Amino acid sequence: METGGFHGYRKLPNTTSGLKLSVSDMNMNMRQQQVASSDQNCSNHSAAGEENECTVREQDRFMPIANVIRIMRKILPPHAKISDDAKETIQECVSEYISFITGEANERCQREQRKTITAEDVLWAMSKLGFDDYIEPLTMYLHRYRELEGDRTSMRGEPLGKRTVEYATLATAFVPPPFHHHNGYFGAAMPMGTYVRETPPNAASSHHHHGISNAHEPNARSI
Amino acid sequence: MRQAGAYSGLLCGGVSGRTGPHSLPLARIKKIMKNSGEDVKMISGEAPIIFSKACELFIEELTRRSWIMAIQGKRRTLHKEDLASAVIATDIFDFLITLVSSSESHAVGGATNVMEVETIDCS
Repeated sequence: METGGFHGYRKLPNTTSGLKLSVSDMNMNMRQQQVASSDQNCSNHSAAGEENECTVREQDRFMPIANVIRIMRKILPPHAKISDDAKETIQECVSEYISFITGEANERCQREQRKTITAEDVLWAMSKLGFDDYIEPLTMYLHRYRELEGDRTSMRGEPLGKRTVEYATLATAFVPPPFHHHNGYFGAAMPMGTYVRETPPNAASSHHHHGISNAHEPNARSI
Repeated sequence: MRQAGAYSGLLCGGVSGRTGPHSLPLARIKKIMKNSGEDVKMISGEAPIIFSKACELFIEELTRRSWIMAIQGKRRTLHKEDLASAVIATDIFDFLITLVSSSESHAVGGATNVMEVETIDCS
């Protein structure tokens, strides 16, 4: 059995069947990639894996198609159409994007011997991997989020993943990284550092108690 | 540092993680992050929130570039081939080349893809 390593998520797919339709091949390759990087039970030795079993799990591996299409419609002219294969492909691209950035952010955490991936780690990884244009809008987005929700929401966000984060860890998570490099991202990090210092984690406001729990609703509806 | 009204409205729609017009489910994002590697341990509550906006920007950029490909082909329907062309033409999308090309290039054959994606340093 193939075991996932630090770079398991980057492993190349191996097509095991030449008789499948292209869509099936893509789905199979995606499943194999996921198997290589996680201990899920989908078999990567059988080209004719349990389709029904994997189908249920795949719903958890992609963003809901309705949300994705709504975002695409914002960009496309009204008369544009989107083929079904394009919808499936972009769903897979989004999941790959999340895994790609998360892998880079996680490697940085490990180098610095930290256990929690923070928003700053994600922004750093995006800058390193070439998504510099995203840093500024995301930084402003994060500022606005912290203004509206306060620090308390991020603490309540943890139970969703069945993890408990001590206050000390949260305090660490909000400290800007040391400035060993000189690039646009760390310039943008300065305001965040200033903002965080002005608002201690323990003094968080609680205007939106259910901000995070409501995030479950679209999930339930899409399933 | 305050933002423009329209921009604030856009941000407010998605910031709280509610079912705004363009929000993506945070729990799903977190699950994908956890599945990206065995060594992913704890994830701050703000990381999926950053991703919900980042994925929006990513989908917008990929859609925009794909639509340009469709127009060049004199078509008004976005196909998978348009996505593949956009990925090939854009440097920051290199990590997707295997994903979008494997089904096209190897739909019939069983050849192994020897693309050296892992050795490329994007820094």
